[in-house]
Amino acid sequence: MRIVAEDLSRSFGNTRALSDVSIALEPGKIHALVGENGAGKSTLLKILAGAERPDSGRMVLDGQPYAPKSVTEATRRGVGLVFQEITINPSLTVAENIFAGRLASFRRYWLLTRGGLNRAAQALLDSFSAEISVSQPLSTLDLGQWKCIEVARALSASPQAVLFDESTAFLNHREVDIVLEAMQALKRQGLVVAFVSHHLAEVGAAADGLTILKDGRKVGDYAAHELSRDQIQSLMVGRDLSKGLFPPHGAQASSDNLMRFEDIADERLKPSSLTLGGGEIVGIAGLKGAGGQRILEIAAGVAPHHSGEMKLAGASFRPRIPAEAWAKGIAYLPGDRTGEGLIVGASVLDNLVMARPPRRGPLFDHARAKKLSAALIQRLSIKTKAPQTRAGALSGGNLQKVVLGKCLAVDPRVLLLNNPTRGVDVGARAEIYRSLREAADRGLGILLASEDLNELIGLSDRVLVMRAGRIVARIEDPASASEDAIIRHMT
Amino acid sequence: MTSAKPHVDDEHQVSRLFGREGVRRFFPIFLLIALAVAFSLTSARFLQFNNLMIVAQQAVVLLVAALGMTFVVIAGSIDLSVGAIVAIAALLAAKTSGSIGVLAILPACAIGVACGLINGLIVAKGKVPSFIVTLGAMVVYRGVVLFFTRGAPVSIENESFLDAYSGRTAGIPNSVLIALVLIGVAAFMLNLTVFGREVRAIGGGERIAHLSGIRVDRAKILIFVLSGLLCGMAGLLQGARAMAATAQLGEGLELDAIAAVVVGGTPLTGGVGSIQGTILGALIITILSNGMNIIGLDPYFQNIVKGLVLVLSVFITIDREKIGIIK
Repeated sequence: MRIVAEDLSRSFGNTRALSDVSIALEPGKIHALVGENGAGKSTLLKILAGAERPDSGRMVLDGQPYAPKSVTEATRRGVGLVFQEITINPSLTVAENIFAGRLASFRRYWLLTRGGLNRAAQALLDSFSAEISVSQPLSTLDLGQWKCIEVARALSASPQAVLFDESTAFLNHREVDIVLEAMQALKRQGLVVAFVSHHLAEVGAAADGLTILKDGRKVGDYAAHELSRDQIQSLMVGRDLSKGLFPPHGAQASSDNLMRFEDIADERLKPSSLTLGGGEIVGIAGLKGAGGQRILEIAAGVAPHHSGEMKLAGASFRPRIPAEAWAKGIAYLPGDRTGEGLIVGASVLDNLVMARPPRRGPLFDHARAKKLSAALIQRLSIKTKAPQTRAGALSGGNLQKVVLGKCLAVDPRVLLLNNPTRGVDVGARAEIYRSLREAADRGLGILLASEDLNELIGLSDRVLVMRAGRIVARIEDPASASEDAIIRHMT
Repeated sequence: MTSAKPHVDDEHQVSRLFGREGVRRFFPIFLLIALAVAFSLTSARFLQFNNLMIVAQQAVVLLVAALGMTFVVIAGSIDLSVGAIVAIAALLAAKTSGSIGVLAILPACAIGVACGLINGLIVAKGKVPSFIVTLGAMVVYRGVVLFFTRGAPVSIENESFLDAYSGRTAGIPNSVLIALVLIGVAAFMLNLTVFGREVRAIGGGERIAHLSGIRVDRAKILIFVLSGLLCGMAGLLQGARAMAATAQLGEGLELDAIAAVVVGGTPLTGGVGSIQGTILGALIITILSNGMNIIGLDPYFQNIVKGLVLVLSVFITIDREKIGIIK
């Protein structure tokens, strides 16, 4: 099978996600779509897989016109999709997950024939050497293996092309390897394989060819060996952008220790010590589960059971619930903005003042809340029709600005950020970075845990690198450190 | 588990839905007016002042209990022990009214608060779902009433007590006046206080509220205490009206209270809701019963109508755009 797409364009509201992009996918090759957040790579892949429809442009599949209206239709035409999110239902078995939605075909006299179901599932898993047995309970498998079950689900429709939409985003590097091996196996069978990723290490390891996208436009098609990682990076980001994205570092940290961790440890964190000064942005690098998020959770009072001592401006500090941390001026921006950060059903104003509502005695001070939220909307350039607009109506980047606004509304001393720009477009990211640096310049201390190395290097004054619950390296001058050096410490 | 989120242009949706949106929001009022018109056309008796006061009096106990339920439901919880707390409070009021008369309001409210506190502590600190906690509490509190009464009614004879809580002032039943005050207090708490905002935030997303520094446990305990307190008041009024506390008093009231809240447009999924809606809901349910009796509808047929009205009104008022999961 050969998939050719010509001049695809797609807009969401006023945002042009994709402008006149053409691409050709060949059988027996792994094709990577790379670019920054918001570059349009996921949109492109979703259009190819029928999950989105282009505003203009056309696609051809082996010479036949191809315009799938849904993922189901694309699947019928032989194009399968593996989603970014985990779509495994843990209360089903491995085989049931693979054939979810198609269990009826394993029916005999209304009863499910488990033998046939399990045999078919095992055959699919073995076809790309997934090394998973259908009899294994899902809870004993890791996320990479869950992804492989999703791959098997895509294969159950006997596709000729399998598209992976940032399928490795939530996996650690060992789990990523499992998925990359699965891709190689599909390639050897002569399938078209394409994937979206912004981890250049994955691209180097797996891809035969790559297409670089930037701001919805195609930068170019390349053979994988043609470009070094640095070259890909600069094509992805563009010189001008990499300069403008991060604000200049401010006056260096005032020497006073705002927050101090002394041998803090719990079941997921080895004894760790660190300091954070006012006016300083300290980055924490590390794979998912390496401990960066845990450090934030302990400081935020989310994970109260730990040993060691935490100090805030010299005084011992041990929050048992987040409310106690907020009361001390420690604001926490969690990693999942719609599940943990803000209430999508409530208004922008409600969310902005949620952490510390303006009050007169027991009464909510509506006038002051209005003034405060208007100021925050302006300060963070939140694009919303009115403060009373339902938060759910905002775009991802603006939602994140609302969560950040909620944190800044309490006038915090310490700001704890967990991947503050995940899934945020470039424009909003620049605005978020600018606001963070401004806040730091006013004396705020920021602890920034991020999976985006670019962001850590560009924004932090210092970077701590974590691996397996331990701080393994301290980089005092991240601006002159290379991404590779940090990755070496991480893995 | 997350799934790909569809891109929905909300503002566009709202403008297109405006017609439907209007029907959705004002349906409880339409329904109330429609019922009143229908019943007054079929029976001249319905709109008489006396009958209206009877309706109001009948609505009072349900309404007061439903006020507390409104807070519980907006916070995303449920309180099934409402009817049983009403029975316990009525029993305590009956037992003490002989000696302390009007002041029997104090033990009635105190026992309501105590029952609510127990519910709230187990829900908030024990992290047991409110459905289970209050289902058990319903059986236990009802059991306490049965244990102490042995199933026999306890009559209330104290004149000053009966005068105060089931008498009339200027032709208007005192219980209605008390309910009006409680409505005012509840609306004030829900709409104007920080506590009211916390209730909505918890219902909108409990984990989000917790991570944003809201003291969720404390708020939840307060919510159940408030529900208990209002049940104490409801029990007092019900006892005074019936001039007795019986073991069966308030049976099924929890379901009527939930129905009143939901018919009033407050979804069981939490996060949104209003006191006005609950008032309408309680009136609709009461008028429906009263009207069906007045027009002489077969009593064995009435429950069928009540159930259908409940489902129909939620079918029309539910905001499917905002409620992601229907379960």
